[in-house]
Amino acid sequence: MLKLPQSSTDRKHFVIVGALVLVVTVLLGFALLAILPVKAQSSVQAEPIRWLFQLHIWLIAFLFALVSVFMFYALFVFRRRKHDTSEGEHFEGNTVLEILWTVVPLVLVVIFSFIGLQTLQQTTSGGDDIRVEAVGFQWAWTFNYPNGVTSAEMVLPVNKPALISLTSTDVIHSFWVAEWGPKQDLVPGMRTQLHVTPTEVGEYKLNCAELCGLTHWNMVATVRVVPEAEYTAWMEQKIAEQNIEVVSR
Amino acid sequence: MRLTSLGLVRGLIGYAVGLLLGMAVVVVSRLLMGMSVWEAEAAWVGGVFFAVIGFLGGVGALSDWLKWTRGAETPLLHGPPADKPAWTRYFGVDYNHKVIGIQYGVTGLFLLLIGGSLALVFRAELADSGISFLQPGTYNTFLSMHAWVALAAILLGVGGMANYLVPLMIGAADMAFPRLNAFAYWINVPAILTLLLSMLFGWDSGWTAYPPLSLRGPVGYQLVFLSIFSIGLSSILGSLNIIVTMLMMRPKGMSLFRMPIFCWAILATSLIQLTATQLIGQAFLMLSFERTLGMPFFNPLYNAAGENIGGQPLLFQHLFWFYSHPAVYVFVLPGLGIISELLPVFSRKPLFGYRWVALSSLAIALVGFLVWGHHMFTSGYGEYLRVVFMISTLLVAVPTGVKFFSWLGTLWGGRLTFPTPMLFTLGAISVFLIGGLSGPILATTATDLFLHDTYFVVGHFHATIFGGFVFPFFAAIYYWYPKITGRMYDETMGKLHFWLMTPGFWLMSLAQMTAGTMGMRRRIADYDPALGVENVHLLVTIAGFVIAFSILIMIYNLFTSAEIGATAGNNPWRSRSPEWQIPSPAPEHSYARPIAVVGEPYDYGLAGSKYIASMGAGDD
Repeated sequence: MLKLPQSSTDRKHFVIVGALVLVVTVLLGFALLAILPVKAQSSVQAEPIRWLFQLHIWLIAFLFALVSVFMFYALFVFRRRKHDTSEGEHFEGNTVLEILWTVVPLVLVVIFSFIGLQTLQQTTSGGDDIRVEAVGFQWAWTFNYPNGVTSAEMVLPVNKPALISLTSTDVIHSFWVAEWGPKQDLVPGMRTQLHVTPTEVGEYKLNCAELCGLTHWNMVATVRVVPEAEYTAWMEQKIAEQNIEVVSR
Repeated sequence: MRLTSLGLVRGLIGYAVGLLLGMAVVVVSRLLMGMSVWEAEAAWVGGVFFAVIGFLGGVGALSDWLKWTRGAETPLLHGPPADKPAWTRYFGVDYNHKVIGIQYGVTGLFLLLIGGSLALVFRAELADSGISFLQPGTYNTFLSMHAWVALAAILLGVGGMANYLVPLMIGAADMAFPRLNAFAYWINVPAILTLLLSMLFGWDSGWTAYPPLSLRGPVGYQLVFLSIFSIGLSSILGSLNIIVTMLMMRPKGMSLFRMPIFCWAILATSLIQLTATQLIGQAFLMLSFERTLGMPFFNPLYNAAGENIGGQPLLFQHLFWFYSHPAVYVFVLPGLGIISELLPVFSRKPLFGYRWVALSSLAIALVGFLVWGHHMFTSGYGEYLRVVFMISTLLVAVPTGVKFFSWLGTLWGGRLTFPTPMLFTLGAISVFLIGGLSGPILATTATDLFLHDTYFVVGHFHATIFGGFVFPFFAAIYYWYPKITGRMYDETMGKLHFWLMTPGFWLMSLAQMTAGTMGMRRRIADYDPALGVENVHLLVTIAGFVIAFSILIMIYNLFTSAEIGATAGNNPWRSRSPEWQIPSPAPEHSYARPIAVVGEPYDYGLAGSKYIASMGAGDD
């Protein structure tokens, strides 16, 4: 059985705790990544989100391990033994430590601000090869293409940067396809926008992510990401159906 | 004893009379102006406005002030009423801060049970996908009510701790303004009544009440606006009273840095309440005016050319969050103060870095004023603001980290014991750690754009509020229970409460966050089974019911131990704090003689050190 030192400032304590923090960080990091699966993975804009999320998880794992290992270790080692009536060791603080644990987090804040700025730029930018207007209203969606085509489902060609222009006719809604990553509110009287470059063919659900009244939970539209040829075919069919004279963009 | 001798009963009668009177005023005014006589919304707005005043008049919270206008004498009566049982003083206006503290605390606990029960109802609904018994309209009302009822519970709980403890801790005879103190408590009661009444009509926007949605729904909104306006008035007046008490009524020798650390937390809290609450009052007042009188503050109006010549929906969000984000620190700072207050007692060691802990509360309060826009990352405001609010929000981590590390420093090298209050303190640290560490991931804008309005946020803030308020509040209840009642709570039941609630809460938080990353949105009455979150939701629901059950154990414990608990003695925890140096239960006049501070508050383990001394008749 390991004999633990009595003095709280003995280096042995910190060696043990340091080792435990490392082990717990690794275990916790993988555990958290397993129980927090990020759904955003089907667009160019989702990539920086996933990357930053994982970076956060490792920092969280480390800080959680740091605080909880120190705490549980202290609870075990410094518990009062039977018949011990003595008081704890008398120290009132340590200015060097306080400055250290103010400055180190401050440096982390600066680093994360910088990373946060870069990822924000990445996740909110993209081209406008395809332009669509999404209009939200209680409790459905309409999509307008620049050539005049109107649709109740949104169809986009895969790997083509799209710029979605958003507005609402009544209350605030929010445009969210979870697989794509970012969401953006639709505000009456304003026009907002969202860049997305879908990378995986498939059928997705567009949900409203801002409580908008009675059947908010069911304000849903289908979004289809298709190969470019299929997109062109769908668009031609819509043009024919809706009897639209094609204006070139 | 006549029923109407209870202030509460007279208040309720005053509420009913005021309601009818207010409605009559509206009806008559409309008649005189030649409008249609009955318009439900206008009638209710007039009705509840007069009802709140009627309640305050009936209960007697205005009596002394009205007497002052006539120049009449209003002596401050002490002790229970002479001709009635002692318990009746808790149901009427009483000026003793300890009575008012209990009134706040018990009302807060009661509201916590209501708010929690509302959550249990919709948690049961969410246990599987598909709508089984709660229709979407009712669901939306319940989730909106859950939030405001729980927030009112927290504000009252904070008021309870501050009112009961601060004067005791600084050795003051009472609060600076006892009548204002009673008024600030009693205005909550008609406000809560009005809030609960709003359920009759329903309202469906969530507690945030974002327009234009909140401008469209039923009359319930108006009742919520007036209720929150009144509770806000209570916050402002109560915090003013606390600040004055703390700054002006400390005993000889108690410099600010020699106050018990909880007082620092309450000072920071009160500064926020005194200066930020106006913003939500104004925001809700503007909504009320826009609904009743058609003033276009927030709803866009379009001219023939399609240009907006009306209001701006985003303006509301700025006003709302300018209060509602700092409000989060109103909820958690007192709890963090409780943690800092209790750890030294159960570690038998000084609080590590007292000044750093004290100033970190102020730092959190100040930074807290600059971060409101992180609730609006997806709102469509300028791109630049997404950066500013990201950086300011990340800064909150710095003073919060100081607190965590100082708590560890306090535990390190102590002689730790683990009675129920200490367990809840440690539980609070663990839960607040989950809440705190899930914060930065929502502060960096890119990840927030994905996680905003999902269950990840729900998990994050419930962990923050439980770790920062609920767990410390329960720790405080168990810790000061002997001082309040003179008796000990039942330790076995206390530990059972803890060991059910804490793992239950860890599970609930993590499961909520999992649901969020898997794509589960907030505030939805039903969800798509294709999301694959049904099992996760079932876990959250089960954990929620376990937590609720454990809280019932506490309520039972508190009720029975007041009768049969072992006599506690003056200072069962061997604390150095002033309130433990007087008899239990605390007598009507707390300190028979004024106290003086002669040492540091947390010098546990320093032989021969003293914190306070009782001043003899001749001392000054």
